Amino acid sequence: MNFAIEDSPQQGAFRADVRTWLEKNTPAGIAHSADPCDMTLEQYRIRRSLGRRLGEMGWLYPTLPKQYGGGDLDAEKTVILYDEMARIGLSLPPYYDAGGRMGAPTILVWGTEEQKNRFLPPICRGEVRTWQLLTEPSAGSDLAGIKTTAIRDGDAYVVNGQKVFVGSSHGADQSWTIVVTDPKGERHKNLSWLMIPMDLPGISVVPMDLLATGGEGGSGSGVKNSVFFDNVRVPAQNLVGGENNGWKVATTHLEIEHGGMGRLADRRVVYEFLEFCRERHDGHAIADDPDARAELVEMFIEAEITRLFALRNHWLSHTGQPRSYEGAQYSLRRKLSGLDIASRMLRIAGPRVLSKDPRWGPLEGTVEYFQRDAITALHPGATTDIQRVIMARRIGVGRREREQAGTVR
Amino acid sequence: MDLSLDDTQQLIQESARDFVRNACNRDVLLRLDRNPAETMSLLWPKIAELGWTGMAIPEQYGGTGNSMTDVAVLFEELGTGPVPGPLFSSAVLAAHILLQAASSAQKQAWLPAISSGERVFTLALTEAHYGWSPEQVRMAARQDGSSLSVSGTKVMVHDAIHATDLLVPVRIDGASAHSLLRVGARSKGVSIRALDGFLSAVSEVAFDDVRVSKDDIVGEPGAAWDAMQRALLRAVAVLCAYKVGGCRAVFGMSVEYSRERSQFGQAIGRFQRVQDHVIQIVNHLDSARWTTYEALYKVDSGLDAAASVHMAKSVASESYMRACDFAHEVHAGIGVVREYGLTLHTKMSRTLYHCLGSPKTHRRQLERELKLC
Repeated sequence: MNFAIEDSPQQGAFRADVRTWLEKNTPAGIAHSADPCDMTLEQYRIRRSLGRRLGEMGWLYPTLPKQYGGGDLDAEKTVILYDEMARIGLSLPPYYDAGGRMGAPTILVWGTEEQKNRFLPPICRGEVRTWQLLTEPSAGSDLAGIKTTAIRDGDAYVVNGQKVFVGSSHGADQSWTIVVTDPKGERHKNLSWLMIPMDLPGISVVPMDLLATGGEGGSGSGVKNSVFFDNVRVPAQNLVGGENNGWKVATTHLEIEHGGMGRLADRRVVYEFLEFCRERHDGHAIADDPDARAELVEMFIEAEITRLFALRNHWLSHTGQPRSYEGAQYSLRRKLSGLDIASRMLRIAGPRVLSKDPRWGPLEGTVEYFQRDAITALHPGATTDIQRVIMARRIGVGRREREQAGTVR
Repeated sequence: MDLSLDDTQQLIQESARDFVRNACNRDVLLRLDRNPAETMSLLWPKIAELGWTGMAIPEQYGGTGNSMTDVAVLFEELGTGPVPGPLFSSAVLAAHILLQAASSAQKQAWLPAISSGERVFTLALTEAHYGWSPEQVRMAARQDGSSLSVSGTKVMVHDAIHATDLLVPVRIDGASAHSLLRVGARSKGVSIRALDGFLSAVSEVAFDDVRVSKDDIVGEPGAAWDAMQRALLRAVAVLCAYKVGGCRAVFGMSVEYSRERSQFGQAIGRFQRVQDHVIQIVNHLDSARWTTYEALYKVDSGLDAAASVHMAKSVASESYMRACDFAHEVHAGIGVVREYGLTLHTKMSRTLYHCLGSPKTHRRQLERELKLC
């Protein structure tokens, strides 16, 4: 086995290229404060411009095929890209783009050739930003129970309804949206996916006031929104994967959302917090206390196991290995270990972790934000309970037939 | 990055699976559980014949010089039994201690015999104040003419009942640094008493004025501890793989039972509370698995493996014990019927929990590796 993120000569050269490129192309002022909800429009625009430049290199969506604007990169090079982005405090893409991150691989599986050529290159080149629209006020874990309708009328679908916990600050160009196309149809056989341009008449976006973003996408998630559709006419050619076939399409999307692709970003805040506890302030270090050291080690182990699960999933998905429960297992682990780590931080370092005060809050507010974000992160991409349900079905607990993982390329 | 097994490892896995399925099936395991002394007659000749006694030993000493990951793949399969016996104690742990500590003449004298399975070595380290740190190992030896005299008691010695030779850390003439002695298990003054109870092949070994030749001081006097630590860092991860195998087995048993056991008119695995137990087991299994194999990868690649090894041992010990606990929640009554086989793992998970250092011990060492103290 080889766990190395160490580089072969070619990989080393690639890493050097990426690093040099990022040094040259990452604009000043890209960093925002610890709370991504504070991201200014100017900071967002800077991130988008970096995204377009990454897109030109095929690095914005490095694993997608070149013919659609991706990078066709192998697992190792993708790891290097994620690594180098994380090293300068950025994720990939460097802004919230969940509709692209999960929609693009789904379109690759389910779209027609014409749709792939129309939708994928602008996403991969960073020209458009895409949100994903799934959850509704009355349909969270029970996604199949959504109520937003899209009724065929000539060459368009007319969309009505409300989506919540959507997107990010500063708008989007299009929305990858699950809708009901047959309101009288049987459950699971009445759904479809639409790519909805956000500039169509009848769409309104209202920000939600949340504890944090809970964005697994790392930095730049920004504030969440409600999106209202009032008789919005969406071109029929934007329906992907076949009318009323949306539940099957959803298995691909959800496989990615539930962690099946494997995310490689380290939980940087843990490693920074360890360093913070080693540092001496007025002759005293938090790690001087044996109880604190014991907690720090537990925290480290939690983070390491989560990292290893992510690494395994990444390897599974990029080498085409069969997967079953691993995506949901990683997601569950990340959520629960996040909560565990956050409470350990509070125990170890005391009430200062609750403050983002420049003088008293540790690590420029990063730890305070993590206190909120770890709690918020329990719900996005399926609750911990749903992750357990998925795991049990995939393992085949209590049943001989194991549920198959959704197709991901 | 490549987390798959290579061709050699797949062959090792296949032959070990075959061994566990046939030569060491549940009936054999239950019989050995009742009568551990039969292990050597029933299993050992086959184990030696398969070449497993030489896998972790370099070719120049009669072994096949496999990587620690190769050896771990074998032990993961043996852990699914759990297959008892001194293979780890002798052919991995003791062999690596000798590789690190012994003189070349001693290596030539002892390692080929370990490699062929003819002799069985085990480490007798822990004492009344149980612990794996140097200050807890106090047994004394004194020089008496041309030989040494050893008196004292080692407790919780694994596989001593099967051993031909004991490796015994002592302090000679009040020295603070430890020396390591090879003592014949049937030497005059050595008495080995298997401890009865909820543990597997663990003994008290008493030494009453045992005479040890100076040729049997392993390597240089006073230099044993560091050499043992180096050997431990290599061997521990293999023991972790055995626990991974144990977790795998109880996971498989629990999933199977969740399907076939019916209550309230449906398979119990349809109840989400039962599902939660199974999910806990697989989470423990995979935590143990990936921390273990990453540690092995570092050991084999010559990287600094200490932090990973300490983490793996801490996680794997805890995981095996907890996996068994959750399996008992799934199985309820049938789980404690000895004939069913789950308790073989439960007992092994407890027996090995402290072996080569408890999770707490390894977490303490991890604190140092992380430069927290």
